[in-house]
Amino acid sequence: MNVARSVARTALRTRTYSTATTYVPPASLENVLPRRRVQLKPIPESPNFYTGRAAYYDQINGLETAIQHTRSALQKLQLLPLPSFARHSIPPGHHVWITKDGLTEMLNAPLTTSRYRRLLGLLNQLDSYRRIADVAGVGMLADRVAGVLEVFERENKEAVLARGKRKPVEFDEHGRSYTVGRRKESAARVWVIPVQKPETSTDVSTSSTTSQKAAAEDVLPQLTPTITSAMSDSPLKPITVTTTNILINNTPLSQYFPIPADRERVVRPFKIAGLVGAYNVFALVRGGGTSGQSGAVSLGIAKALSAHAPEVEPLLRRAKLMRRDPRMVERKKTGRPKARKAYTWVKR
Amino acid sequence: MSATFVLRSSRLSAEAFTSTSRSLPSVSRLGQTRGYAQKKKVAVKQHSSGFKGNKGKDPKEKGFKKEKKHGTFLTLPANQVTNTLFKPDNRVVLDLPTYSTEALTSAAVGKAMAFPMSENEAIRAYGVPKNLVVEFRVLSKPCSVVRDVTVTAIDTLDEASSKSSRDTRLVMTGPSGCGKSFLLLQAVEYAAHNKWIVMYIPRAIKMVDSSTAYTYDSRTRTYLQPNFSYEILRRFFSVNQSALQHMKSRGELVTELQSLPEGTPLSNFVQAGLSYKEDAPAVLSALMDELSRQTTHPVLLAVDDIQALYNYTAYRDPHYRALMPQHLSIPRIVLEYASGKRAFARGAVFGAESTSNTAFQMPLELSEALGIPPLRPAGPYVARSKELAEYAQGLRNFPVPAQLSVDEAASLFELWMKDNALHSGEVRGTDGELQSRPNDELFMTKYCEASGNPRAFVWKGLLSTMSSY
Repeated sequence: MNVARSVARTALRTRTYSTATTYVPPASLENVLPRRRVQLKPIPESPNFYTGRAAYYDQINGLETAIQHTRSALQKLQLLPLPSFARHSIPPGHHVWITKDGLTEMLNAPLTTSRYRRLLGLLNQLDSYRRIADVAGVGMLADRVAGVLEVFERENKEAVLARGKRKPVEFDEHGRSYTVGRRKESAARVWVIPVQKPETSTDVSTSSTTSQKAAAEDVLPQLTPTITSAMSDSPLKPITVTTTNILINNTPLSQYFPIPADRERVVRPFKIAGLVGAYNVFALVRGGGTSGQSGAVSLGIAKALSAHAPEVEPLLRRAKLMRRDPRMVERKKTGRPKARKAYTWVKR
Repeated sequence: MSATFVLRSSRLSAEAFTSTSRSLPSVSRLGQTRGYAQKKKVAVKQHSSGFKGNKGKDPKEKGFKKEKKHGTFLTLPANQVTNTLFKPDNRVVLDLPTYSTEALTSAAVGKAMAFPMSENEAIRAYGVPKNLVVEFRVLSKPCSVVRDVTVTAIDTLDEASSKSSRDTRLVMTGPSGCGKSFLLLQAVEYAAHNKWIVMYIPRAIKMVDSSTAYTYDSRTRTYLQPNFSYEILRRFFSVNQSALQHMKSRGELVTELQSLPEGTPLSNFVQAGLSYKEDAPAVLSALMDELSRQTTHPVLLAVDDIQALYNYTAYRDPHYRALMPQHLSIPRIVLEYASGKRAFARGAVFGAESTSNTAFQMPLELSEALGIPPLRPAGPYVARSKELAEYAQGLRNFPVPAQLSVDEAASLFELWMKDNALHSGEVRGTDGELQSRPNDELFMTKYCEASGNPRAFVWKGLLSTMSSY
């Protein structure tokens, strides 16, 4: 029986199933057309088809493969496992991964939070390997891993990372910076421009005299001086000192702020930076009272100076001049006459 | 506080100003004491049986007490200040070039110079405006910085010495604290040392704020100010004694008490006014006439606070109407010379605006005559006094720059630094003591804070700063 079945199979090239059927001699099947098999199911595109979430598991597999390859590459380069001191030197990751909704759209399939989290975990792991490769200088590996990760990053990554950071101060065609400073209820708009150093008249005069002297010397023989002195006999050239002019609401600083403390507060950024006389200031300030306005102008000037002279920014930062003072007037509370003051306590 | 200083020349000598020790306990260095306004004794009241008020109470319980007026700042004499905190061993007297006519050239611009304090010095005799008093008391010597406007003012004086005073009538104007009073003082000192006859009124406000006695004179139909006239004559005499001796009067003066014929030497003329206080206003008026006629010496009439003479005065007539300045004898004289109605044959009239007293601010008529923007916007519907406008006619504006140049400010800074007056820029020396080492950063920051204004630079900047670095 087995032999016959096997002969029949080879002859007819059909699959026979081990079902209980009656025996049919081959001769009677001569006029019978071979029945086509049932339409074969199409081979699924993804090997993960039968998970029911093929798109998702494809991504997971891809990432896990990438992690595997990257890990082995780093191990070959002896970059893994890293000692603790080396691990601390790697910069922290600034990543902005695609959101759950974005990933849902990308995969075209519903996504639960726990699955999203798992994917994020793999992305973070891969990103850490990329950073190791980046710091180690393995550019090619780092670039390839970055290429893999780029698919999962948000488009507005730069914008998101730049949130909370100060916009860089821009200069106009005259070299003026425009910054804003605020304190309590005051707001100041500050324009700072570098002082134009005047052409020293002494340079011009000396150049003309030297040319005249040269013309005279052509006629007269040059005398070699016999007396030598350690210091040159010519007098020191006078230094032109430029001064900082500060105009606030189109009035000079001394007229707008009569109190010396306010004046000192406005000039303090220049003093700490050591740039008094290097820049002129024009400010428009509104709101609040005298000390609030002077604090606002001071902050505006500090921001402007750090834009004009970036090397000065750490000094101003340490002097707490770059900080917008967050103290504001505390609100009055119910049951109290003022913010903190309480009514007289009565025993009964 | 009286406007004029009583200088008891018997008590004070020139040494008092040049020595370091201020050994005169009760009289200040410049010889300023209250003059004729002596302290009055308050009569003790009888006890009444009625309302007692604060009488039984302890002085501390009495409640609010009016603060005692201390007057202008007075320095302690040096022998009373012995604590080591005041560094008695570190006292310094400034060594500066003297403010003299030969030294005042354009090369001297930006240099600090000390005023020569001789016996008959104009500063001593006439006194100086109040803020200058304090400055000269705090400094070890009365001195000033020569600015470019000083040289300009002096050149103007030189040009005016040959012309009538009608051609040179200036008023120094500028923002508060820019150096108008100092400039006027420098001009006065220059004239006094250049053989001019100088009449300097440092505080014209005292003529119009009803602080000095006034009486109505029916002959001239003006209100005379005998005490003020007397003081002016006395000081004028002490400063210009040598010049007056050689001049003789061309007209005669007859008063109730005395008569002075033609040909009297002018020094006797003035002495006559000093011997009888009631005659002082008449003598002063006649003296001004004599000075206008003579051509031997040019005459400088310098008035600080001149804008006070163009405002309604604080005096009242019997009907309680405010008197105008031209109704008072001495302001009338000044106004007539300032307007050119009377003029010296040779000389000039210099005035300086002052912004200290807000009761006597720059009036509209004067600001229009000078061509400077008025304090309040004034259109054609704002009333202007025709008389005051007439008295302001022909006055020229002499603007004093609001900002010191860097060189001038540097000289001023060095002046105060050398006088050991600055407390900023402290560094710890080798002995562990804090020493003040003012540096250029202090100079630059204070100059910037003051926007170049001299008073703000020195008083609000250098001397009032709370920062020690």
